[in-house]
Amino acid sequence: MKKLLAAILVMMFALIACAGAEGTVFRMGIDAEYPPYSYMGDDGSYTGYDVEMCAKVCEILGWTQEVVPINWDTKLIQLDAEEMDCIWSGLTIDVIDPEAYTISMAYSDNSQMILTKKGSGIEKLDDVSGKRVGVQLGTSADILLSDGGDAAEFGASFGELVRYENYNIAFTELMAGAIDALAIDIGVANGKIAEYGEDYYCVAEPFAAEKYGICFRKADAEMCKQVEDAFMQLVEDGTYVSLAEKYGLDTANLCLAK
Amino acid sequence: MNILEIEHCRKQFDGKEVLHDISLTVSEGQVVSIIGPSGSGKSTLLRCATLLETMDGGSLKYLGKSAVRDEGGRAVYASNAELHQLRSCFGLVFQNFNLFPHYTVLKNITEAPMLIQKRDKAEVYATARDLLSRMGLSDREDAYPYQLSGGQQQRVSIARALAMKPKMLFFDEPTSALDPELTGEILKVIRGLAAEHMTMVIVTHEMAFARDVSDHVIFMDGGVIVEQGNPTDIINNPTHERTIQFLSRFN
Amino acid sequence: MTLTAMIVKMSEGLGRTCAIFFLTLLFSLPLGLLVALMRMSKNRVVSAITSACISILRGTPLMLQLIAVAYGPFYLFGYTLLVKEKLLAIIIAFSLNYAAYFAEIYRGGIESMPVGQYEAAHVLGYSKGQTFMRIILPQVVKRILPSVTNEVITLVKDTSMAFTLAYMEMFSIGKQIANSQSSFLPFVIAGVFYYLMNSIVAFAMSRCEKALSYYR
Repeated sequence: MKKLLAAILVMMFALIACAGAEGTVFRMGIDAEYPPYSYMGDDGSYTGYDVEMCAKVCEILGWTQEVVPINWDTKLIQLDAEEMDCIWSGLTIDVIDPEAYTISMAYSDNSQMILTKKGSGIEKLDDVSGKRVGVQLGTSADILLSDGGDAAEFGASFGELVRYENYNIAFTELMAGAIDALAIDIGVANGKIAEYGEDYYCVAEPFAAEKYGICFRKADAEMCKQVEDAFMQLVEDGTYVSLAEKYGLDTANLCLAK
Repeated sequence: MNILEIEHCRKQFDGKEVLHDISLTVSEGQVVSIIGPSGSGKSTLLRCATLLETMDGGSLKYLGKSAVRDEGGRAVYASNAELHQLRSCFGLVFQNFNLFPHYTVLKNITEAPMLIQKRDKAEVYATARDLLSRMGLSDREDAYPYQLSGGQQQRVSIARALAMKPKMLFFDEPTSALDPELTGEILKVIRGLAAEHMTMVIVTHEMAFARDVSDHVIFMDGGVIVEQGNPTDIINNPTHERTIQFLSRFN
Repeated sequence: MTLTAMIVKMSEGLGRTCAIFFLTLLFSLPLGLLVALMRMSKNRVVSAITSACISILRGTPLMLQLIAVAYGPFYLFGYTLLVKEKLLAIIIAFSLNYAAYFAEIYRGGIESMPVGQYEAAHVLGYSKGQTFMRIILPQVVKRILPSVTNEVITLVKDTSMAFTLAYMEMFSIGKQIANSQSSFLPFVIAGVFYYLMNSIVAFAMSRCEKALSYYR
């Protein structure tokens, strides 16, 4: 009995030691319902621009990447609770309190667009006044347009701001004519237009410009620095732009390439 | 020998006294019937005697052993263990039978003797089958209560009480829940028990039956014993005004 | 992504869905009985506290309770176990929530028992425990089975709430596929899965009811 116990203990220590020897595991928290930045790929594994950039960063740093799908509504709680090491998933850093978290440099502009359907009569931002506009709950578009947001005045000009659980449902409502337009990140908007074709378009002028970045816990400034340095190498070698093209992102938004 | 002795029993419900100073002694082999209008306290007396209701004052003894003693007009109960012992002295047959619906007839009768009295299974089953044959229910031992008529259910419940080998049996209006044509079979069983000198206290509305089967009849009204004595005297020639009034309704 | 690939991917989450379902039943059914007995306790303090807990558990959304169980101890005491062990947090929250509902069902069943059953057992010398376990509980189970079936069917559907804690059960995976593929097909698949599970539940419960129909 004692021998068995000892054997189990030795095995456990060996396992822990092995796990330790594998080096740093870097857990990136993603909204797995946010294509093209982070989503479930055709093969059932998580992919997207952010997921692949993170994989490259981990390659450079010799870390093991682990993708943790999170609940976007409770993302900061989950970060605090150390469920993952960062939030890296088309995160608008303008809404994060820099006093409470470590925030990376912005790696992409995130223009907020009005996406609409042909025949809606919406050509410029003023035309949206009085219309029904859909948005995904808790996204930067939602935060910007709601009371206290930077585009609250614009939001107040709508007939109604309709909040959906995700853009998939919101887009279906637009197709069905239940709403007149969507307020949406440019990356997501372009993804939808690429998929559904010419009946849909964005109003040329964005109603707000936000920035995407990576959010770490306050104490992890060192980790943030390492990720930023590795990220800059990917900017230098062109991976930054080529991956954006691969995922159909508008390269004009790649602020680090300018 | 006295099986049951109740002295100066008092009971209140919400400040209203429903039993005033009732005393009752039942000796071995005696059959006592309690009659009276509804609300007279006769069922409450039975429930106090069977420990289903606690009395406020007075004393209660089974076989000379004290279950409740009177301390300055207040009823003091014996320990739970002692009461548990005393409970095996008597059986109670309810108006509504209260058989266990999820048990077969046989299990209704045999579980308590085996579980509570820890008696031998073979002996208990033999006793139960013997009782069922006396009740004319030998072929129904595997039936469930819902498959039986009211009269059959009441006979099972009498067998259940008897299987515990009690020193005495209480009957709480044993025929009141039955259709009139079924009361006869129950009264016949009770008569049979009386013939075997089973000690019994019967609360009943069957006046002719009470007269024929009892050694002693008690007439209660308003929580007091108004009149008691020889059954023929009480039922055929009542002396008290209230007894006369009550009995006139049955003739 | 092909239909088959979607089904395969969502089936992976089905195991987690079933884990939530069975573990919740395993813990909430006995716990509910205990809570019901505490609720009916003669001790006023125990009864009042239990009653308040039931009221809170039934009166607030399961989603909030999930967040409270997982993150409450972390924010209050820095306790991280329930954050790391998502399934544990989910089972605790679900079991408490369902125990509250089951407790009220048990209570209704117990209180509907005729007093004569207690009295008959009492006179025969059954102890309180024997009376409850042998006479009352078996009859209560039969009486409450239809209400319990309703709750169990609701539980199958409620497992999708585990998404709140980013636990990748079947429906969460379905939503991710739906968004990445811009397709409503995963919702159809999820619907079929839930319907199949509930058909099994309904079948099992009707077998139970049949098994208990030997008496009335």
